[in-house]
Amino acid sequence: MLEIKNLHVAVDGKEILKGLTLSVGAGQVHAIMGPNGSGKSTLSYVLAGRAGYDITSGSIRYNGEDLAEMKPEERAAKGVFLAMQYPVEIPGVTTLTFLKTALNAQARARGAKELDAMSVLKLVRKRAAALKVSEEMLKRALNVGFSGGEKKRLEILQMSLFEPKLAILDETDSGLDIDALKLVAEGVNALRAPNRAMLVITHYQRLLDYIVPDRIHVLAHGKIVAEGGKELAHELEAKGYEHIVGKAA
Amino acid sequence: MRTADAIFSDALAHAGPAVPWLEPRRAEAVKLFRAKGVPHRRVEDWKYSDLKTALEAANDLGGDTIALTLAPLPAGVEHFDLADLANAPDWVRAHLGKAARGGAMPAAALALAHTGFAIRVPKNTHLSAPLQFEVSGAGHTRALIVMEEGASLTLVEARKPGTGFANVAIEVVVGANAQLTHVRTSPAARDTIQVEDIAVRVARDASYRAHLFNGGASLSRLNLRLTLKEPGANAFLSGVSVLGGLHADVTTEVYHAAGRTHSEQLFKKIVGGRGRAVYQGKITVAQGADKSDSRQIAKALLMGERAEADLKPELEIFADDVKCAHGAAVGDLDADSLFYLRARGIPEAEARNMLVRAFLEEVVAEIADETIRAAVWQAVEDALPGAMAP
Repeated sequence: MLEIKNLHVAVDGKEILKGLTLSVGAGQVHAIMGPNGSGKSTLSYVLAGRAGYDITSGSIRYNGEDLAEMKPEERAAKGVFLAMQYPVEIPGVTTLTFLKTALNAQARARGAKELDAMSVLKLVRKRAAALKVSEEMLKRALNVGFSGGEKKRLEILQMSLFEPKLAILDETDSGLDIDALKLVAEGVNALRAPNRAMLVITHYQRLLDYIVPDRIHVLAHGKIVAEGGKELAHELEAKGYEHIVGKAA
Repeated sequence: MRTADAIFSDALAHAGPAVPWLEPRRAEAVKLFRAKGVPHRRVEDWKYSDLKTALEAANDLGGDTIALTLAPLPAGVEHFDLADLANAPDWVRAHLGKAARGGAMPAAALALAHTGFAIRVPKNTHLSAPLQFEVSGAGHTRALIVMEEGASLTLVEARKPGTGFANVAIEVVVGANAQLTHVRTSPAARDTIQVEDIAVRVARDASYRAHLFNGGASLSRLNLRLTLKEPGANAFLSGVSVLGGLHADVTTEVYHAAGRTHSEQLFKKIVGGRGRAVYQGKITVAQGADKSDSRQIAKALLMGERAEADLKPELEIFADDVKCAHGAAVGDLDADSLFYLRARGIPEAEARNMLVRAFLEEVVAEIADETIRAAVWQAVEDALPGAMAP
């Protein structure tokens, strides 16, 4: 589903990703672990299509198409979803209005039928209950005044509504206490499906106790330096990044 | 080419004296105007609105066609036609022209206008239906609005786009415990030079609320001068300017003359093309006006390289124990917000639209009357496509 080959990405002329190669198949959950500054967030942004992240060489193919050629909204319509580390607060746009606009924009781009306000409300209510996203939150301006946990739950609610084919979760565990973490992880696990791939980006092993990956890649200095099964997370936790990164260097 | 000052001088020479009761105020206005002349960019608070140059560059100032057209008055409102000054009742004589000394343009309006209206809402009269009036044509005119103690009214002023130069001076007196909501809409008027001075005096525990929509003009200057003269007086001044290449200057002066007075201001601007939005807001808290508070926010979003916004909050405090806060920001749409919406599948143009509307919505939402709010929002919608073009 996702094929990244020898990817080099520069931000403000500085190379951050330096030859990253990665492949994730449908139905799989892969984790990217790495120390601060290794390029984890750059990878998530370049996959979602944020401006200012220049691909200097290499390629990203998504279901056989060149992802780099697509606008962010085109990627979203084709099933790419990034749960952001820092969801943006947008005063003046209510959460429910935002969800309806996004759902219908994606539907329109796919040539599917748009939903009326009532159908959106029904759908959102159904999915929101499991994530403990309240009616009151849906009426508030998008992410404004939300706690860290509420923001992350809303990201997962969006993932549940948009039903992406490729979900990238960028540091979804950051800023969450253990109860919030469990709730979010349950939400993510409920979305594991044979036709869906997930890329879980995290600094800590903690999240991977709850969202157990099929494969773990260690990112350091802009490259994958080690790969393994879920047990790799525990080795990293016990011995630290320096041990693995140092060995690879 | 005649200079702007010569144009006014001729007019003043032909205007003749007013009725005896008004003559002292009128003579003072003429003197003040002759001393100050037509404002231009080297006059500090007209720096961003060079009226003199605009008048001299205009081919046709449009003669004297100005009209203030009042909709049928609700029962309980008194009306007096200012063309008939000799027969003015006491309440008109008590107030008309008092604010003319506040600047060259209201002085000119007092000296040169021979039309206009005065209305009075009597004591404890609450009018639920809004009172509407239109401003059209070119020339000088003035109006007087008197709210007696405990009265309440919503006044809706609609400026008609036209051609030429119009100079309007409105005096507003809000008596103790009275409430006036003043809504003003001024759609884009490419061929008009508009100057309007609104001078408001607010008495004890009374309130004045202004909601302005401005689509700009060749040159548009709105002066909102407000005195909170007794304890408990309060004011809320708000406005949106949506400019697709035109000019709109909103200049406010709020004077906290007494203690326990409150003022709040919220102004937002969207500027596209070669548009220029100006906000100057001067707040003065007088000596002894303790426990007063004032808040002032002005923000502008620029839609293109050639658009310009000048925001200038100013604060002078001569009292103790006051709370004053102000902020001003000019920028482009927030890149993080734009990316967030696009990453959720919302196309760029639609995302920009959402963010611009959200930015303005906060201001328009302050209009309590649903019908008026919808009408103002429609004016915003009509102006947005022009303003969002880079």
